[in-house]
Amino acid sequence: MSYPPKLSAIIALFSGFSDAEKRETLIAYADQAAAQEPISGETFDLEDIRKDQECTDTVAVFLRLDSSGGAHFRITLGPQVQTLTRAMSAILCKGLDGLSPAEILEVPADFVPKIVGAELVRLRSQTVYYLLTRMKGIVKVWLQRKRASSLALEDGPSQPSL
Amino acid sequence: MTIDSNYAHPEALVSTEWVSEHLKSENVRIIESNEDVLLYETGHLPGAVHIDWQRDLQDQTIRDYIQPEAFAALCARNGITPGTTCIFYGDKSNWWACYALWVFQLFGHENVRIMNGGRDKWIAEGRPLTREVPKFSPVTYPVPPVRRDAEIRAFYDEALAQSRSKSPLIDVRSPGEYKGLVTHMPEYPQEGVLRGGHIPGAHGIPWKEAVNADATFKSAAELRKIYETDLGLQSGEKIIAYCRIGERSSHTWFVLKYLLGFDHVKNYDGSWTEWGNRVGAPIEKSV
Repeated sequence: MSYPPKLSAIIALFSGFSDAEKRETLIAYADQAAAQEPISGETFDLEDIRKDQECTDTVAVFLRLDSSGGAHFRITLGPQVQTLTRAMSAILCKGLDGLSPAEILEVPADFVPKIVGAELVRLRSQTVYYLLTRMKGIVKVWLQRKRASSLALEDGPSQPSL
Repeated sequence: MTIDSNYAHPEALVSTEWVSEHLKSENVRIIESNEDVLLYETGHLPGAVHIDWQRDLQDQTIRDYIQPEAFAALCARNGITPGTTCIFYGDKSNWWACYALWVFQLFGHENVRIMNGGRDKWIAEGRPLTREVPKFSPVTYPVPPVRRDAEIRAFYDEALAQSRSKSPLIDVRSPGEYKGLVTHMPEYPQEGVLRGGHIPGAHGIPWKEAVNADATFKSAAELRKIYETDLGLQSGEKIIAYCRIGERSSHTWFVLKYLLGFDHVKNYDGSWTEWGNRVGAPIEKSV
């Protein structure tokens, strides 16, 4: 399975690490999670802020599409979100940056254990998969709205706008 | 905040203030035990060691706890001798701290305490954290002669007998899990259980009933009302607590044994992940 180039580079980085080095690097990524939060004045095409049953705290995902169709994410995490999930937010914001929505939907989740390592993927740390689901979710909604909007335009001005 | 002297064993709890004053005490070992697998590395109490519920306390090939030899080695590498006072604390209102304490009890390490309020309270009070991992000179911990499963641990057959005899079984999961409305804990993914419900006859008393908003334990009077007046538990009764994998029920086990003084309490660590999947296990649902 091939991964997007930026994510691939992160996977390659982790693949050479011992378990201890993986933990250390994950902590470093978790420390960067706050840097992925929206910057004052930034605008987004879509925002998805919610507290799901599957996660211990609120997660806000912000999506912006640039002029060439590349997606850029910002993520805000509530204080109860686990460290591993924080690390994954930084990894995914970097690893998926600039991909098209269609490319993001194609990213398989099987890279997670390659980065995290078998020892840390366990019962009670499964929320590590949650963020990718949320990021794909917001992209899917954006695509659906775009399609709906295109259809409305094709059908002419008499159709109700979405 | 002082520890309520009306608890049956107030010495089983220590305050954050007490811990703050004993961080460098030679005969005290502070032990962090969390659900968040990387939380210790992000910062912990100065001098605290990390004991991981899965990596350190569980057998890696059998669903069981480590054997006495491994426990002795775990203690030795963390600078713990049989005389060391072990102070447990952690995230999630001390679920895993109580779990680790319970496992230490399986091996007869009696000198154990919980830091009231856990990690969150320590941080809320602005107390220091460090990323420095302490190193200790090697010590010797004699291999415990037995693991005391029979005293404080319940297995499936015992839980079934308890159910059939209508003796006290306490389901400490959330109301939705108890009723069989959901098969996962709120705020968590599904953890692989086939059926929802509870062990027939079990009383649903969520673990959370026993704590205040700041994760400290409720007063002795409040706990007595919940477990004795309202639930009707009586001194001398054999009691079994369970949840999904035994960590929340460790918390209730600690409350019943140390704060209320019930002598015959067991933790059924197989809990709902065993019972809810087991062929032939009867379940009860309620709405």
